[in-house]
Amino acid sequence: MSAADLMGPTDEATTLPRRKKRDWLFGIGLTIVVVVVILAAIGPWIAPYDPTAVTPRIVEPPPSLGEIPGLLWGSITGTLEHPPHWMGTDASGFDIFSRVISAPRIDLSIALAANGLSLLVGVLLGLLAGYYRNVATGLLMRVSDVLQSFPVFISAMILVALAGRSTVNIIIALALLYTPIYIRLTRAEVMSQKVRGYVEAARAMGNPELTVALRHVLPNSLAPALIQASVTIGFAILLTAGLSFVGAGVRPPTPEWGLMISTGANQIILGEWWPSVFPGIAISLTVFGFAVLGNALERRYDGG
Amino acid sequence: MLVRYIATRLVIGVAQLVGLVIAVFFLIRLLPADPVSRLVGLNPSAEAYAQAERQLGLDRPILTQLLHYLGLAPEEGPGLLQGSLGISWVTGSPIVEEIGRHLPVTIELITLSFLIAFVLAVPIGMLGALKPGGKADRGVFIYSLFAGSQPEFWWGLLFVYLFFFTLGVAPPPLGSLSPLTSPPPEITGMITVDALLAGRPDTFVEALHHLMLPVATLVFILSGPIIKMVRQNMVRALRSDFVLYAHCAGLPRWQVARYALRAAMAPSITLIGILYGFMLGGAVLVESVFSLSGIGQYSVRAVLSFDYPAIQGVVLIITGISLLIYLALDLIHAVIDPRVAY
Repeated sequence: MSAADLMGPTDEATTLPRRKKRDWLFGIGLTIVVVVVILAAIGPWIAPYDPTAVTPRIVEPPPSLGEIPGLLWGSITGTLEHPPHWMGTDASGFDIFSRVISAPRIDLSIALAANGLSLLVGVLLGLLAGYYRNVATGLLMRVSDVLQSFPVFISAMILVALAGRSTVNIIIALALLYTPIYIRLTRAEVMSQKVRGYVEAARAMGNPELTVALRHVLPNSLAPALIQASVTIGFAILLTAGLSFVGAGVRPPTPEWGLMISTGANQIILGEWWPSVFPGIAISLTVFGFAVLGNALERRYDGG
Repeated sequence: MLVRYIATRLVIGVAQLVGLVIAVFFLIRLLPADPVSRLVGLNPSAEAYAQAERQLGLDRPILTQLLHYLGLAPEEGPGLLQGSLGISWVTGSPIVEEIGRHLPVTIELITLSFLIAFVLAVPIGMLGALKPGGKADRGVFIYSLFAGSQPEFWWGLLFVYLFFFTLGVAPPPLGSLSPLTSPPPEITGMITVDALLAGRPDTFVEALHHLMLPVATLVFILSGPIIKMVRQNMVRALRSDFVLYAHCAGLPRWQVARYALRAAMAPSITLIGILYGFMLGGAVLVESVFSLSGIGQYSVRAVLSFDYPAIQGVVLIITGISLLIYLALDLIHAVIDPRVAY
């Protein structure tokens, strides 16, 4: 979990001017995200080992660089007695490579589902709060104020630990904590949109208020929330991993990056780095990829 | 006018806290957890269960429990109004005391990290701002995007592997002092400060040595958003009319840069304050990696053992401090720019 999502959107006047120059960065971000999405779809099927089944080889280090060509050749020709452990095995004998490429299914599903849920609820409530300003929506904003002043990580931990450590509960907890962000963003945008000429025109055509709100104002007020979502997905992955790390996330032996880092944490003092390092690289790149993508979207939108 | 502004803000802040206390109180009781069975262990007899429930006061109606917690039923013992956050269900000691012991550790850790991150971020952010879109700016931009989106607990572990296991220059990640060192007498609760107060420079150095890696981890993570923000505010300031005017008036470049820096600092300070409040609860993972017994570690323990009074206390204290920081920031703003107060 990080604090960068507090910083808000980048000021368009201060961002880098030419789009062409930063294309390679955008390319890297997009590539990472596409790879993670593909792994979420097929990761567990292409994994050489069952990610939740132990092997007899415990804490086997990954092959050294010199051994890799031989192992590659061996796995192509099928002369090895068992598929190589590209990233070694952990203290329980799980194949780390299989778990690292199977984890996106859990991590990404949680992040996407939590964001989808909070986006849906947040945008609708934000539309209401921005379009109809009365006692009820005022109360809604106060409630979301209180919700937003909760310490995010600790609240997520409380919700998940007390509700039961399951994927569904993690999704609900994250969705609850992210909803106020979307309410606020959408409400602000709706308030700036609803005074525009096209809204007046739609009303003058005799459309009922609800149609004006849903058909005309809503589609034009989605952009800030959607941009925020691409950044928040990355942070949801960090939060999920963090929860597993302190023991308030998914249960072992679920292949989940944070859980893998956590189980390897005790070994790192002894110099057995691989059980934690490989899943960490995966999280690090994934979240960075989403951050790059979110940043690019943000600028494209601000640039008009 | 300012006094009225402060009063209004304080009233709103207190109302928000009361709302929060009640929300947390009901929220954790709505969740399907059974703290009683967690405390009495597996397969307790019905009497043992009922007795534990009575001891925790959970057999009373929920509104009575709330009134007791808020301190509106003083005949049952002290509550919030009397300055008590209740008794821990696990350790049996007052929550206020326990939080008082853990909070300084976190404050020491994040204050030091913020100071260092800020001192490093200002020149780096300025470097990027001097020529927006240039090579240096791109580098700074990518760095801040990267650092701001990293799993801090993993970087903490990497640092342990590198600096403790491989290079041997850092102590093992097992707390804020070596187990053989007797901690200095507790005055502020921050070991570095207490060591200095007790006149023990060697303990001070040892405490700093133990803080080295956790602080480095947090500095790395925090530097991302702080650099981004300094750069943004600096670019904005350099483009403003008063800088143009200063240039036209023929002031030397360094002096113009100084003016711009001052203008860029005001909004930066606000965001740093918000970030600081956020880190009070956000340092959990780093504390956990380095076994520092801060408020984050305390909250993990409280949550995993279903210690409801401790959970309520932690959320209340952290949110309360954050709200106070926001209030202080708004006040500073109102003093600098009196329009805010009207």
